[in-house]
Amino acid sequence: MKTIYKLIQRRNTPSGFGVLKIFFLLIFTFSTLLAFSQSQVNTKQKKKPNILLIVADDMGYSDLGCYGGEINTPVLDKLSKEGMRYTNFYVSPTCSVTRSMLLSGTDNHIAGLGNMGELKAPNQMGQPGYEGVLNQRVVTVASLLHDNGYHTYMAGKWHLGLKPDEYPHARGFERDFSLLVGGGSHFDNAWNLEWQVPKAPYTEDGQPVAELPKDFYSSKNYTDKTIQFIDEGRQDGKPFFAYMAYTAPHGPLQVPNRWLRKYKNHYDEGWDGIREKRLARMQELGIIEEGANTADRLYFLPRSSALAPAARVALGRKMEIYASMVEYMDDQIGHVFEYLKQIGEYDNTIVIFISDNGAEGNDLRSMVAGQAGTMGFIHGMNNFAENSHNSIGRKGTYAEYGAAWAQVSMAPFRIYKGWTAEGGIRSPLIVSGPGVQGSGGLNKEAVLHVKDIVPTVLELAGIEHPSSFNGREVAPVQGKSWVEMLEGRTQSPRSADDWLGWELFGNRAIRQGDWKINSLYQPMGTGDWQLYNLADDPGEQYDLSEKRPDKRKELIALWEEYQKTNGVIIGNRSPFERAKKALPDPQPEFDNYPPRRGLEAVPYEQLLKLMSGENNKKGSKKE
Amino acid sequence: MTAKGNNKSKKHLNPLLQFGIVFIIITILPLRSSLFAQDDGARAYWNAREKTNIFSFQYLAMNLDASDAKVFAPGQYIYGNADVDANMSFGSFAHHFAFFKRPSSFAVNIIGGSVGANFNSNISPEFLPPGIAPGIAFSQSSSGFGDPSVAFVTNLIGTPRLNSTVDLLNYEPGFSMDVALLLSVPVGAYENDKLVNLGLNRWFGRIALPLKYHFGVFAPGYMSSFELTPSVYLFGDNDNFNAGQTLKNEPLWQIESHLTHDFTSKFFGSLDMLYQNGFQSEINGIKAGENLEIGSLGFSMNYEIQDNIMIRGSYSSNVFGNDNLNTSVIKVQFVYSWNKTVENAKKLSGGE
Repeated sequence: MKTIYKLIQRRNTPSGFGVLKIFFLLIFTFSTLLAFSQSQVNTKQKKKPNILLIVADDMGYSDLGCYGGEINTPVLDKLSKEGMRYTNFYVSPTCSVTRSMLLSGTDNHIAGLGNMGELKAPNQMGQPGYEGVLNQRVVTVASLLHDNGYHTYMAGKWHLGLKPDEYPHARGFERDFSLLVGGGSHFDNAWNLEWQVPKAPYTEDGQPVAELPKDFYSSKNYTDKTIQFIDEGRQDGKPFFAYMAYTAPHGPLQVPNRWLRKYKNHYDEGWDGIREKRLARMQELGIIEEGANTADRLYFLPRSSALAPAARVALGRKMEIYASMVEYMDDQIGHVFEYLKQIGEYDNTIVIFISDNGAEGNDLRSMVAGQAGTMGFIHGMNNFAENSHNSIGRKGTYAEYGAAWAQVSMAPFRIYKGWTAEGGIRSPLIVSGPGVQGSGGLNKEAVLHVKDIVPTVLELAGIEHPSSFNGREVAPVQGKSWVEMLEGRTQSPRSADDWLGWELFGNRAIRQGDWKINSLYQPMGTGDWQLYNLADDPGEQYDLSEKRPDKRKELIALWEEYQKTNGVIIGNRSPFERAKKALPDPQPEFDNYPPRRGLEAVPYEQLLKLMSGENNKKGSKKE
Repeated sequence: MTAKGNNKSKKHLNPLLQFGIVFIIITILPLRSSLFAQDDGARAYWNAREKTNIFSFQYLAMNLDASDAKVFAPGQYIYGNADVDANMSFGSFAHHFAFFKRPSSFAVNIIGGSVGANFNSNISPEFLPPGIAPGIAFSQSSSGFGDPSVAFVTNLIGTPRLNSTVDLLNYEPGFSMDVALLLSVPVGAYENDKLVNLGLNRWFGRIALPLKYHFGVFAPGYMSSFELTPSVYLFGDNDNFNAGQTLKNEPLWQIESHLTHDFTSKFFGSLDMLYQNGFQSEINGIKAGENLEIGSLGFSMNYEIQDNIMIRGSYSSNVFGNDNLNTSVIKVQFVYSWNKTVENAKKLSGGE
């Protein structure tokens, strides 16, 4: 130190300057060498992170406790406290379409799911990007990770191809237990709603599964398989990429019997009250702003206070089962986390949790098997006829919870799965793991998309996305890596000029910054572009087209760019082309119409007493 | 239905259209035999919605062959050295209500029919009716009304009040226990110079503790139950038996059991078991015949013709007990029920 001090003291002397210069040069060189060698040591010693990608199926934006839901989800709530929640994460309106982007990082119209394989329009047949399966123009993140030293596992729903060369095993997953189609019974009977594929096909490690185990229940078995795969592959010390594609809470609403009544009578209050409470909690959590315009109840849904108690109980039961499915899934995710902690891998695992699309408010059964006299109808009649009040939720039943509860699940947004309104495409997103900064935080600034997950995972794994794979050219990723954001170096991977686009079934949307345009089939939309500012109108209630024609025009131009860039072909048929006729008529009583001055709805508990005659000495009971 | 109506019904998204399920549960209707010496029947003590009224009509054909037996149970139409054929009808009206907020019912039962007995020549002299010499075979018969009875049942454990549709929707029974009381009034046809009578000329009552365990799904087409009803009959004296003698009987202990299962939403079957022990007869202070012991097995089939009309057929026969006693019983029962709320709902839904 004395020498250094003397050198510094001599700094101002001509002869001393040269010595000091040499000294600092030496220091710099030494530091650089030290840093470099340390970096080499880190690279050698630090294992690449495991990636656990968890996808819920048709789960709503506000179902989780950490997003304001009343459903008990302690595992995911805890995960959110360890990591970050994001409020502006987008997916596609339906599942296979989202999954194509989730695994390829590029737009669904390029990856082969320009439309769902089951619902392609005549003019989309044979067109590139409309194969209905994950095509060969893209390479999956699983393939890239596998080729770069990762174990790649999948358990759950695939929905990206039914042929052997389209199986998960052929698209990069070395181990898999996969449901190939979009849905089916959650139990071992494997009934599928589609008569063309009456029994839902599964594969295990690339081979068709002849029969499911007798005690099969989707969420449990996918969890068990994931743990099994990790356990059997961990001896070599390689990191893993595990894709847990749960099929809960996709219809049919089914849950193991002991979970059936976990929420008994919890939803008897009706959808309006439950939704209001969710919105209040979302405000408390900071997920939505106080005073933000939330979506009105859809015009064809009755207000729940207008329903008789018995109707509320009957309709509430479906939501009870849905909630049980979500909690069951949460519980199973907890098993995976516990296992990872046991083997010491939890702290080296990046966990990403999303839902694949908005909650399901459509009557899927009616859409797929509702037309009397068709094969689909007969198939549904033979295999999904049991739907009585105490039966639903069990093996052999087929129940969905309908538009009213879907709106609760998607609070504060408008509409639900299938539509490009926020209720169809907004999803919860939780990211946690090594390097994720801001534990327990909430990021409301970043506008994120499911396409971002591939570049994020690749960057975390230190892998470049190639321009070709196995001798074929592959489409580049369109998403943006979140790594800088996860590390806390930026709030968002996107700038104000960046934009996102969607198209499915002819419904379209563009979002840039807080602005969004939507073109939706009637009656959900006008069939033309409508403009919203999501900053204060997340419920897409006020069309600003007339006020801001300039902004509308700008965004329409972006849509045209999106369409051209991705080869979007608007279908000449759509499952929603008859929505205007297929949806019920407007409710005669809708909020304040007709006006009932000074008359308020009777609170539910009081109503029950009235119905039971407890408030009426003469016992005049009405139903 | 008109074409327009058909189109309307396809609008499945309206949650109100899914509401038909609400009224299904009302079809759970207890059917009770309410006849002395017979089992109550499967699902007899299932709890129904308050204010439900149930009328049942039952036809019963019995053969009670004790030609070579020593048992003497006149209240049961079982006489040693006699072969009895009975054809009887029962009318019953039950009303379900809440008693201290417990599901309960009150019923009135009326019996009528005919009984015929062929006594062989070996009948003991002390049982012979006036004017019949020992060693001679003879026949007797009786017809008309038997003794009516009233019954009261209330749940003790396990069943909530079933008042509103909400209560029914929330009703998924597991184990439950009721108490059932029956009192028979001796006003039926009785002739003191006959051994065979429809009326018993004595008061009797019954206390039962019906135990039920429901398993499986409590939904039409899936319901199953195991039912066990221990009970005891207590008898007053018949002090004008067989020309002025006094007939006493010890209590009759009974265990009735059923294993029931829905095969479809409108059809259920039941395996039935009945064990009876006791009823030792005593005439003028002297034991008469053997103590009664019968173990019967049988089955029942129940079909719901409409949501408030049901038909049931049953058969049972003894499989152990008193030597040389053979019984066979065939029952056919019709049940009609109504509940104001449900009937009103049907009116609104076009009478369906």
